Amino acid sequence: MPVNAQFLAELERVVGPDGLVRDEGELSTYESDGLVSHRSRPRAAVLPETAEQVQAVVRLCHRDRVPFVARGQGTGLSAGALPHPDGVLIVMTRMNRVLDVDIPNQRITVEPGIMNLEVTRRVAPDGYYYAPDPSSQVICSIGGNVAENSGGAHCLKYGFTVHHVVGVEAVLADGETVHLGGPALDSPGLDLLGVLVGSEGTLAVVTKVVLRLLRRPESVRTLLAAFDSTDGAGNAVSDVIAAGIIPAAIEMMDRTTIRAAEAAVSPGFPDAEAVLIVELDGPGPEVAAQFEQIEAICDRNRGWGVQVARDEDQRARIWRGRKAAFAAMGRVAPSYYVQDGVIPRSTLPEVLRRIRDLEKRSGLTIGNVFHAGDGNLHPLVCYDDAVEGQAELAEEVATEILSYCLDAGGSLTGEHGIGADKACHMPKMFDEADLATMRLLRLAFDPADICNPDKLLPTPRLCGEVPGPYRAHPAEAAGLAHRL
Amino acid sequence: MTEVVGLRDALIGQIDACAGGAVARAGIDGDAVDGVVPGVVAEPATPEAAAAVLGWASEHGRSVVVRGGGTKLGWGAPAGSIDVLLSTRGLGAVEAHRHGDLTATVQAGAVLADVNAALAVHRQWLPLDPPHAERATIGGIVAANDSGPRRQRHGAPRDLIIGMTLARADGVTAKSGGIVVKNVAGYDLARLLTGSFGCLGVILTATFKLAPAAEASRTVRVTLSEAGRIDRVAGALLAGGSTPTAVELAWPPAAVLVRFESAAAGAAALAEQAAALARDAGGAADVLAEADEAEAWRRHEARVFEGEGTIVKLVVLPSDLSATLAWLDEASRARSIECALAGRAGLGVLYLRLAGPVPAQASLVRALRERLDPGRGSAVIRQAEGELRSLVDVWGPLGDGFPLMRQVKRRFDPGRILNPGRGPGGL
Repeated sequence: MPVNAQFLAELERVVGPDGLVRDEGELSTYESDGLVSHRSRPRAAVLPETAEQVQAVVRLCHRDRVPFVARGQGTGLSAGALPHPDGVLIVMTRMNRVLDVDIPNQRITVEPGIMNLEVTRRVAPDGYYYAPDPSSQVICSIGGNVAENSGGAHCLKYGFTVHHVVGVEAVLADGETVHLGGPALDSPGLDLLGVLVGSEGTLAVVTKVVLRLLRRPESVRTLLAAFDSTDGAGNAVSDVIAAGIIPAAIEMMDRTTIRAAEAAVSPGFPDAEAVLIVELDGPGPEVAAQFEQIEAICDRNRGWGVQVARDEDQRARIWRGRKAAFAAMGRVAPSYYVQDGVIPRSTLPEVLRRIRDLEKRSGLTIGNVFHAGDGNLHPLVCYDDAVEGQAELAEEVATEILSYCLDAGGSLTGEHGIGADKACHMPKMFDEADLATMRLLRLAFDPADICNPDKLLPTPRLCGEVPGPYRAHPAEAAGLAHRL
Repeated sequence: MTEVVGLRDALIGQIDACAGGAVARAGIDGDAVDGVVPGVVAEPATPEAAAAVLGWASEHGRSVVVRGGGTKLGWGAPAGSIDVLLSTRGLGAVEAHRHGDLTATVQAGAVLADVNAALAVHRQWLPLDPPHAERATIGGIVAANDSGPRRQRHGAPRDLIIGMTLARADGVTAKSGGIVVKNVAGYDLARLLTGSFGCLGVILTATFKLAPAAEASRTVRVTLSEAGRIDRVAGALLAGGSTPTAVELAWPPAAVLVRFESAAAGAAALAEQAAALARDAGGAADVLAEADEAEAWRRHEARVFEGEGTIVKLVVLPSDLSATLAWLDEASRARSIECALAGRAGLGVLYLRLAGPVPAQASLVRALRERLDPGRGSAVIRQAEGELRSLVDVWGPLGDGFPLMRQVKRRFDPGRILNPGRGPGGL
């Protein structure tokens, strides 16, 4: 049933006039997330303040089969929070309270609209922090992190959001509220929490999150080294892994991104073909011993211009250079397309060579930022909107890089998610049986297909009626039947 | 009788035909699961053949129970009848060890100790140390999400798994995740299957992220005159910056084992530091290395996991440890039950061995559950004779998420052929 005046009135009764956005102009604020190339205006947006309001909104949507999409701060980069044109957007930003801090058990319970960095701020005085640190942590919400299973620079050692969420309260697509997990570990039953984290808002709307806190490491040491080639830097990373060291982070930047970062925030990086940033943390003596090994490894691989952060300011300066890399590309190109692919780390030299060939062939500059420890590659494809056809070319180039990642045994996405952006690429990584099996899960959660539809899995509406991968039979989409 | 045998032989013939080779035989007493002898035992040599056996079972509505090393077959509700016991013994290969990427792909029937012996060639390991590692298989460990003391540092299987191939109940093979450690493409079915106790699909292969093998290890053994000090000692050890790989509790009498693994000098220095901390907090502490250390850990595992009898997995918040021990002390005395406990002090995951009159054990389990609010703790019977499992539910309350779990089961196994009734909540 379409969203009509009566439906809007019912929404307004739930969230109040102040919590309902129905004006076309105001709705344009919400028409995209961080990936602005995808735009779509919802019929209405609601800004609930309580879990009960979320539940009431979802119940209305379920009653009338109205699609809904949950949105946090809208920083996502895969159009995962792209509104449905016939649906309701549930904006979670007003639900941003800390509900409980339990330091003895290293837990904090929050509402999903709270900013990632705010969680750490709340517990820092006690010597604790929340580990996942996506580059956008100042402005991204925990709810979005849960949806995307966000990582960050330190996930090589500390894992992703799924390793740090121990419980959620969530409203299912039929309006039922469930509690999965909790402050204690190992709640009996299927690990639905493990699959809900990273489900891109397609299985439920999370209304409360219990997070695990970590104690601040006793010692942190950060080093930056320059190399005359990305291969040289890559060899150094291989040697670190072979030495049995798991740093908290190993990041690589190439010449293009180094220059961009330098132009934007002047971190004082050497003008080199590649820099590596290596950070170690843990007990003092252990960090000291491993740090010496890292210095020796950089030396052996002809690293130069080594900078060791002497204090927190110098460490912050090095990380500022790294974290600014995306935004800094604006200094060297009018526009750029950020790709997010993953490769087995050891295939880096081969994949970088293919990217360099592509750069020459396409004529577009491609910068590379790389979470070198875990194989997550972020090529930045630069283009000029003013040049006819270049935006399309950039997108083609970015897509081609994805195929290099898959050829190397990697993945379509390491942290940005599939969303609407890459749903049609899914058949390149998963065959029909894989996708049909994923569909079984979705049908178990949302047989009516109203919870963030047309995301994550390819659908005819999204990808066209081309022959191929997977097409839901209407009976299947309605939850009346399913494939075996 | 002749008719039954004839029918069984016909089934064996059908399974062999589906799996493309002689994989099936009649079940014998030695194959019994929880006292139930399966009609047929199928032992396929390839993942494809294993999937084909499932396809056959699904088509003919036959129940299937999967067996790896057979170390966990007493878990869950008692078995009804079992048509096919699917043994993973023929699926024991380490398919790939990508040491430069710190990942490995292993078939479900591979024994954990064998896997780790193979990975040790490159000084790496799959950092799991559940009970019975000499016999337990990867498939069983993942299906039960089982882990051991080093979970403190390395996590459980659900934290280490990055990809899986599985056979669905209908025999279709599907994969999830991949071979890279960072990957958010698609639903994480590998995590869904982890801890699903064989009720959603059959794990064929699993891919894990690995850890470098530590150069050296030291263990601090702390003994306490009163159990009430356990919180304080464990708290002091965890609050320091020393990052132990295990912080274990044993009781009674109360003791704490803390393990440090890193470069040689590092482990020794950290252990001495921890011993000093423990003494300050009121314990007697000594540092163990080499054979003494290995023996201490062997005895720690044996304390709960050696032999028949009742084992309960008890999860509480770490801040409730002391109160839980005090309660157990009183509750077990009042019921004439002997208790022995070992587990993760830093995580609140404990394993409890009970001995004594079965009705009294049942009463203790029920009373334990009454103390625990949903999400703040649980008591699951992990191993017990049939009588106890008929007196008290194995799993305990599964919370308001249970109807959703049933929906997932219904989608993945509509014919209810996989480990029927033995999954969480009788799924």
